[in-house]
Amino acid sequence: MTHVREELTALVDGALEPGRRATVEEHLSSCASCRAERDRLAAVVAACNALPAGPAPSPGFEQRFYARLAREKEALRSPLSWLRRGWRWAVLAAGLSAAAAAAVAVLHVRADRMEMAEHLDLLENYVVVASLDSVESAEDVEVVIHLDELRGAKP
Amino acid sequence: MAPDPDAALMVAFQSGDETAFRALFEKYGRAMMAFCQRFVREPARAEELAQDVFLKLYRSADRYSPSARFSTFLYRIATNHCLNEVRRGEYRLRPDRDPASDGSDPRDPDSLSGSAATPEEEVHGRALERSVRDLLDRLPEKQRAAFVLARFEGLAYEEIAGVLGTTVPAVKSLVHRATVSAAEALAPWVPPTGAEEGA
Repeated sequence: MTHVREELTALVDGALEPGRRATVEEHLSSCASCRAERDRLAAVVAACNALPAGPAPSPGFEQRFYARLAREKEALRSPLSWLRRGWRWAVLAAGLSAAAAAAVAVLHVRADRMEMAEHLDLLENYVVVASLDSVESAEDVEVVIHLDELRGAKP
Repeated sequence: MAPDPDAALMVAFQSGDETAFRALFEKYGRAMMAFCQRFVREPARAEELAQDVFLKLYRSADRYSPSARFSTFLYRIATNHCLNEVRRGEYRLRPDRDPASDGSDPRDPDSLSGSAATPEEEVHGRALERSVRDLLDRLPEKQRAAFVLARFEGLAYEEIAGVLGTTVPAVKSLVHRATVSAAEALAPWVPPTGAEEGA
């Protein structure tokens, strides 16, 4: 008998296609073990659904947001902001150049495993961030550039 | 796909209609705060993160295409931002704290279990809430995101796939593994029932 445990959460969530759902339900009709697992998962889903919503924002949440937004818009209009943005993009360019240089270095130092490991670590960081589509602004660029520092701050 | 009124608001904002942006903030601001609270423990930090999300939305409006649901776009920004925050790692070191016990957590009266809840039920609910927070801290980040989006935000698997930039089968697996972990972690508070599966 082939159990259907991997599909039980989708069944509980109503996310199975009709044909697959019929197959899973047919299996459940003759498998007490999978039925018990279905009930266990259904109970935890119901418990999560019943949890109260998170805390409401504190008074002034909306006003504080619009104040931040106004400050940001004002800063964007400032001539200094263009200099700052230019600096950030220069940092990005430097970072990308460093990553590219690391990639080239990795390709050319295959014999030196220690050095390769160092560069792979850097590249791995960069790929992780890029794959998460998190580079959306100049601020995010700084996060990329300083990723090693963030990693170093982890416990 | 049904017409997405929020997408229309976002398109209006792209055209310079700031009132459309305000309408989106009014509709989703509180939901974003609750979403961010699933990644950080302090309500004040969750508020900041929610505000960050809307600032990012404001800045990146021109990147939105109405071919995607607005909520998918918003949750994608929010998920990436919250996971980046979690990656800083500082939250894992902080002791658990029951925010309802120190008066710093102004919960919405509508969201409470109601005056009919007995003291035992309230204690049970808080213990369950703490266990959920501990569980979320332990889950791998993609499982955590998929679980929060499915269990607490009510997103369909297809939309979660759009948010996480992955496939529906991958979401199915992520949500299932996280739910199995939840069943184990929450077992003291959630006895199995004979309930039939949902719709």
